[in-house]
Amino acid sequence: MNDMNGARFPDDGAEGDEGVEEAFVDAEFDAGLLEEELRRAAAVLDPVPAELRRLAVEAYALHDLDAKVAELTFDSLVDALPVRGATDVPRMLTFRAGELTVDVEVTGQGLMGQVLPPQSARIEVLGGPQAAAPVPVDTLGRFTSDTPPSGPFALRLRTGGDVIVTEWLRA
Amino acid sequence: MDRTEVGALVRAAVDGDAAAWKALVEGLSPLVWSVVRAHRLSDADGHEVYQTVWFRFAQHLGRIREPEKAGSWLASTTRHECLKVIKALARLMPTDDPQVLDRVSEDRTPEQTVIDSEEAAAESERIRRLWQEFEELGERCRQLLRVLMATPPPSYVEASAALGIAVGSIGPLRQRCLRRLRARLDARGAV
Repeated sequence: MNDMNGARFPDDGAEGDEGVEEAFVDAEFDAGLLEEELRRAAAVLDPVPAELRRLAVEAYALHDLDAKVAELTFDSLVDALPVRGATDVPRMLTFRAGELTVDVEVTGQGLMGQVLPPQSARIEVLGGPQAAAPVPVDTLGRFTSDTPPSGPFALRLRTGGDVIVTEWLRA
Repeated sequence: MDRTEVGALVRAAVDGDAAAWKALVEGLSPLVWSVVRAHRLSDADGHEVYQTVWFRFAQHLGRIREPEKAGSWLASTTRHECLKVIKALARLMPTDDPQVLDRVSEDRTPEQTVIDSEEAAAESERIRRLWQEFEELGERCRQLLRVLMATPPPSYVEASAALGIAVGSIGPLRQRCLRRLRARLDARGAV
């Protein structure tokens, strides 16, 4: 067991209760039993909230075989270096489905974006299985919404005969 | 949850079987929730991550290449979304104080209230002490055990996806963390 100390888990080694471990636990304690007790404790003290379970069941409505998924290919949160000292930096997102690209910028004021190559489209902001709000789009595929997403969101685009939905994410 | 069972449920859900989807939620939402809790997000952030993961799972349902590995897909997606939240918070608040992220709800669950109201006060106290010692374990142990205590128990492959730890390390690390927890409990004469 001691070979697991040190370099691999330095955070644990720094706790200083190694002595306790050595002194009190005999070699053959029942790990499975203790884990089972933790499982029971978690079921009582920290279960999945009922409302979240319900939302997950309802999420089945988001399963749409006819829609193409536009995958997230750029997320400024992950792919860009933070600007030192800058706060309220817009979140820049790029989604791609085949030849189609959607650039989106999310700020505290709302959301704006552009469909590329430029083309007219109908666009809705989805906020869950039930919530869909259309946003105005110009003929070049530029769109704006002055309502910032308040939780997980996705965009549903209808262009030509296609339905495209961007990957769900948190703003 | 058994992998062949998960695979069959995913395929049935793709084919339009809403009951299969519900069974997937019943079987795998505790895993998703455990991964969220392992990362100590605030309630609001945790709830949003949980929803995002299930919305995305529904969205990708027909495209998941290995349906029997849906548990690992969920665990890994949850982990990545949690890390994004932590990253966004770190940008807003340049601090490495973990307390800032540690805003676990003080609300008592209905189950907890039932326990309090019944004669099972001693049992309740025992569980609370166990939980308290668990919460005070080192971060790495606390994370691993929080994931492993999901119901039904996740596989090591799922735990690996949830935590970004090699599958081969899960078993030894689990043993070590449970031993440490046992030692803490013994030292306090609890349980």
